[in-house]
Amino acid sequence: MREGGSIWGLTWRRFRRSKVAVIALVYVAFMAIVALFAPLLAGPAAPVPFGPNDVDIVHRLEPPTAQHRFGTDDLGRDVLARMIHGARISLTVGLTATAISLIVGSILGALAGYYGGAADWIVSRLIEILLCFPFLFLVLGIVALFKPSLYTIMVALGLTSWTTEARFVRGELLRIRDLDFAHAARAIGARDARVIFRHLLPNALAPVLVSSSFGVASAILFESALSFLGFGVPIPTASWGSILSIAEEHIQYAWWLALFPGVAIFLTVAAFNIVGDRFRDAMDPRSD
Amino acid sequence: MLSYLIRRCAYGVLTFFGITVAVFVLIHSVPGDPVALFIGVRTMRPPQALIDHVRHEHHLDQPIVAQYVWWVKGVVTLDFGKSIFTGRSVMEHIAEKMPNTFVLNLIAFLLAALLGVPIGLWSATRSGRLSERASAIGFFLLYSLPSFWVALLLMQFFAVKLNVLPLFGMTSDEYLQMNAAQQLLDRMRHLVLPVVTLSYAELAIFARFSKSALMEVIRQDFITTARAKGAAPSAVLWRHAFRNALIPLITLLGLTIPYLISGSVIVETIFQWDGIGRLYFDSMLQRDYPVILGLTVTTAVITLFASLFADILYALADPRIRLEAIR
Repeated sequence: MREGGSIWGLTWRRFRRSKVAVIALVYVAFMAIVALFAPLLAGPAAPVPFGPNDVDIVHRLEPPTAQHRFGTDDLGRDVLARMIHGARISLTVGLTATAISLIVGSILGALAGYYGGAADWIVSRLIEILLCFPFLFLVLGIVALFKPSLYTIMVALGLTSWTTEARFVRGELLRIRDLDFAHAARAIGARDARVIFRHLLPNALAPVLVSSSFGVASAILFESALSFLGFGVPIPTASWGSILSIAEEHIQYAWWLALFPGVAIFLTVAAFNIVGDRFRDAMDPRSD
Repeated sequence: MLSYLIRRCAYGVLTFFGITVAVFVLIHSVPGDPVALFIGVRTMRPPQALIDHVRHEHHLDQPIVAQYVWWVKGVVTLDFGKSIFTGRSVMEHIAEKMPNTFVLNLIAFLLAALLGVPIGLWSATRSGRLSERASAIGFFLLYSLPSFWVALLLMQFFAVKLNVLPLFGMTSDEYLQMNAAQQLLDRMRHLVLPVVTLSYAELAIFARFSKSALMEVIRQDFITTARAKGAAPSAVLWRHAFRNALIPLITLLGLTIPYLISGSVIVETIFQWDGIGRLYFDSMLQRDYPVILGLTVTTAVITLFASLFADILYALADPRIRLEAIR
C-alpha cells in the first residue's frame, strides 16, 4: 500500500487521532458482538445463566446480588439477561431503520439533484412537509395506526427520517452531475439510471454513509422512547426502553431498574454520535 | 422584500395543503375500514345503523376527492370532529391543554437559549484548545442522554431520595387552600424537573449551533480584513463576528419547535403534566383517532407558522437572503 492511499485510509488515520472516538468505536463493536451472540451470553449454560424471559416470582424486584448482577424486575426476570437481549432489538432497529432512510433518501436525493427542475421541486416540498411534523408525534401516530411491532417501528422510523440523507445526496449530485466523468458516461451511451446509480451515487455516498451513524443513534433513542411509552416492541420481548418503563412504576425503590438500561442506551447513543462526528471531521478536507 | 414575503407565504400555503394531504393519505392507507377509526374500539360488533351513521357523518360514503375536500374544510375551520372518548370537540380539548404545554416549552426554550448560546459562542472562541474539544464532546453526551431516563433519575434523586421537589403533577393537592404567594411557589416547584428534562438537550443543540455559526463567520474574509486593518481582537470578536453569528440562530426558532413538542410527549407523560403531549399519549392509549389526527395536524401547522415567522425574521435581519430569494 502506498502512503496516502484511499480516502478511507486517510480518513481512518485522521480518525485514529482522537482517543475518545476510538473508545467509542470499540464500544460500538462490543455492543455489536453482545447483540450478535446474545443467546450464548445469556441463557441456559451461558455466562449469565438466565434467559430474558425466565420468570422467578420469588426473587422479584431484588437489588443487584452476586447471582443477579443487575438485579431483577417485577417478574423476577434477570435485568442483565434482558439487557443483553435488548441490545439485539436496539441495534436491529437502529441499523434497519437507518438502512431504509438511507435507501429512500439516496434515491429521492439523487433524482432531485440529477434532474433538477420539477423533480427537485417535488422532493424539496416533500422534505419541507415532513419536517413540519413533530417527529415523535408522527412516529407514534404511524405505529398506533398500523399496530406496534418490530417491523412497524423500523419502517416508521425509516420512512420519516430520510430528509437529511436526501439533502446531502441532492447537494452532492448537483455538484458532480456536470463533471467530466459524468459526461463521459453519458457519451458512451449509458442510460440515466446507470449514470445515476452506477457512476454518480457511489461517488456521493461516502459522506452520507458516515453521517448515517447519527441516524443509528437517533433510531436507537427513538426505539427506546417508543418502548418506554409502551408503543414499542410488544411485550414480553426484552428492550432497554421497556425495562425503563417498569422502572417508572417502581420508582420509589427500584433504582437498579432505572440505572443500568439507561446507561446502556446513553452510552450506545453517545458512541454512535461521537463516531459519526469524528468520521465526518476526518473526511472533511478542511481539517488539517 | 415584499416579493420575497409573498413568495414565502405562497410556499407556506402549499406546505399547509401538503400536510393535510399527508395526514389524509396516512388515514386511508391503514388496512381495514376507516370507519373503525371513528367508532372506536368496542367489545361487540357495533350495529349497522351506527356504522352507517358514522360513515355518513364523516363523509366516508362519498368519493375520495369529496372526502378530502370535506377533511380540509374541517382543518381550515379548526373543526376536527369530536373525541370518541369524551364526545367533546377535539379543538376544545386542544385549546384547553395548549397553555400548559406553552408555558413549559417557553421556559425550557428561554433557559436553553440563554445558557446554550453563550456557552456555544464561548467554546468557538477557544477553537483548537482542550476546553473546546472537551465542550464539543460534552454537547454530544448531553444530546445523547435519553430524556425519559434523565426524568426518572431526577425524580428518584430530588423527589424520592431528597424529597425537596414534587414527584409529578402541576400543583399540590393543597393548592386551593394556599394564598397567592404560596400558589406561585408551588407552581414553580412543580416546573423545575419537567423544565430541566425538556431543556438540557435543547441547550446542547443551541450551543453546537451557535458554536458552528460563529466559527463559520470567523472564517470569512471580512473578519480577516478587520484583523488586517488592526482592530483589536476583542473588537473583531464583539463588533464584527458575534453580531453576524447571531443571525443564523433565528432559524433555530423554526427548527426546535417540533423538537420541543416531540419532547413534551415524553416529559408530560412522565411528570403527569396536563398539556397536549399527555393528551396525545392518552388518546393513543384510548385509540381516540379524531384527537390524534387533530393534534398531528395542529402541531404540524404550528411548526409551519414558526418556520414561516423565522424565515421572514431572517430575511429582515439579513438582506443577503432577500436578494438570493428562494428557489
